[in-house]
Amino acid sequence: MTAVDGVSFDIARGETLALVGESGCGKTTTGRMLVRLVEPDAGTMAFDGMDMATLTAGELRGLRQRMQLIFQDPGSAFNPRMNVATLIAEPMRLAGYPPAEQRARVAELLPLVGLAPEYAERFPHEFSGGQRQRIGIARALALRPDFIVCDEPVSALDVSVQAQVINLLTELQRQFGLTYLFISHDLRVVRHVATRIAVMYLGRIVETAPKAALYATPRHPYTRALLSAVPSHRPGVARTRLADIGEIASADAIPSGCRFHTRCPHAIALCREKDPELTTIGDGHEAACHRLDDLAA
Amino acid sequence: MPRNAALQVETAAAVAAPLISVRSLTVDFFTARGRFTALHGISFDVRPGSVLGIVGESGSGKSVTALAMMRLLPDHTARITGGQILFQGTDLAHAAERDLRRLRGRDMAMIFQDPTTSLNPIFSIGHQLREGLALHLGLGRAAADRRAEELLALVRISSPRACLAKFPHELSGGMRQRVMIAIALACNPKLLIADEPTTALDVTTQAQILELLRDLQGELGMAIILITHDLGVVAEFADEVQVMYAGRIVERAPVADIFAVPSHPYTGGLLHSMPSLEEEDPALLPTIAGMVASPFAMPPGCAFHPRCHLAGADCTRAVPPLARVGAGHDSACIRTAHV
Repeated sequence: MTAVDGVSFDIARGETLALVGESGCGKTTTGRMLVRLVEPDAGTMAFDGMDMATLTAGELRGLRQRMQLIFQDPGSAFNPRMNVATLIAEPMRLAGYPPAEQRARVAELLPLVGLAPEYAERFPHEFSGGQRQRIGIARALALRPDFIVCDEPVSALDVSVQAQVINLLTELQRQFGLTYLFISHDLRVVRHVATRIAVMYLGRIVETAPKAALYATPRHPYTRALLSAVPSHRPGVARTRLADIGEIASADAIPSGCRFHTRCPHAIALCREKDPELTTIGDGHEAACHRLDDLAA
Repeated sequence: MPRNAALQVETAAAVAAPLISVRSLTVDFFTARGRFTALHGISFDVRPGSVLGIVGESGSGKSVTALAMMRLLPDHTARITGGQILFQGTDLAHAAERDLRRLRGRDMAMIFQDPTTSLNPIFSIGHQLREGLALHLGLGRAAADRRAEELLALVRISSPRACLAKFPHELSGGMRQRVMIAIALACNPKLLIADEPTTALDVTTQAQILELLRDLQGELGMAIILITHDLGVVAEFADEVQVMYAGRIVERAPVADIFAVPSHPYTGGLLHSMPSLEEEDPALLPTIAGMVASPFAMPPGCAFHPRCHLAGADCTRAVPPLARVGAGHDSACIRTAHV
């Protein structure tokens, strides 16, 4: 099964690229390939100008420390027998930092993510979802990374806690010049955090654009469907009714031609036959659709 | 459709009377850590054919409310310790299991967040649909098959006959939720309780399921209680909204008013902390400080006061009652004028 197929993108230093799409689109796999939790079968990746394929194992380990991952549910990733201090320091311990340095860094990190110093001795089950995500963020920051893959970091949180964690990620980015790949299915959250957005469908990027352009003039029919599916917060204002476009095809039976053609209200014969390529349609705005000209805003 | 005609006559006759009335409903939980109160004497009505949205976060008591109304609370850990649930002349809070079984699935039905766990993996879709039809309507195999096919068509499944023979694992998440809705609607219930019916689904699937529910509500005229954490879902779908916090209703209003003039600081906080889809937000989102208190250590007075930017000493003295602030609009806050 090909989960991610020939995806290319750049992330500039200090920006947030959001990867959006529905389950099975390959956004999580893409994020894990970037931090080398999943090895790609083909393609190249460069980090800070270095081609990762040409690095020695030692260099790769050094680089790997500069990239970290935040999960949707950090609770399930934590060893329940480790207290908070041990959990946060674990990446440092594995990288061979002396215990004194680990302790000092934990003391620095707790207030940074909004956790009281006395939490250091407690265990993950004693915390709420929001606090566990703060622990996950502190752990990701332990090795002073440049780049963090945030995989649905607020999806499992209550609404009132979501905003707190989003603000924390924003402040940390500003303070440390962090670069984020922000994986999410939530187009409200993405509109708030992203600099640029890439929309994925069945392992491909179908549209990529700076935030303002994507929300104001989405060009790919799938992006438009995603946006019109988000419930409005204005009662009485009727949302454009989403045509019955069915559900995402299975990744083990990728449709021919354009992968979206089985659900696309605008599909023509060509869409079944030929796979459209990403075409530039504006400043940093690209979309992969045969009917871009016919469907212009 | 004689069934619809009958429904209209009933609806007209009962225009002002609520379909279901919850009065001072209190639910306690008994856990290894001790006893706590999950619902503190809540009261509300649902009118026939209307959609009530219940909004809240974890621990608000919104799902406990739904389970209590269906009498589906886990026997060993939860108990209704006070109040009444009046439905068609029966107090469900004190009804015998035999009477409840007759009502559940016939006059009132429920759909859950995760359709995967609600469907039995070893039986075909047809089998699971026929079960309720045989139990409640006494239909024989052929009649039940016909009705099952009609129901799958009703929930817009494109080849209903083929679907009857399928097993849950052969269907996508959205299709499974459609099947769950078909099972829930099998006996034309007067009340459908939908507990986070779209939360586990993808965005485009969620929109399609909500549209389906709205269409069916219009066609069949049933009342719906829609339980959700998503204010957007409520804005699209509900006639009336009640916001719950820590086991109490803190605000209720017609849907337009909840968004236009939120009158409880918690409601206002929730609305402001949601990123906007239409406009640029400030760099940092407005937040509600802190988090929900543990049910074992509820703060005195208003349970929201430790997180409230308007709170004063008087907020710790007594639990504020729901008070009228506008037409059909109630808020449980002594500083409601400042919200």
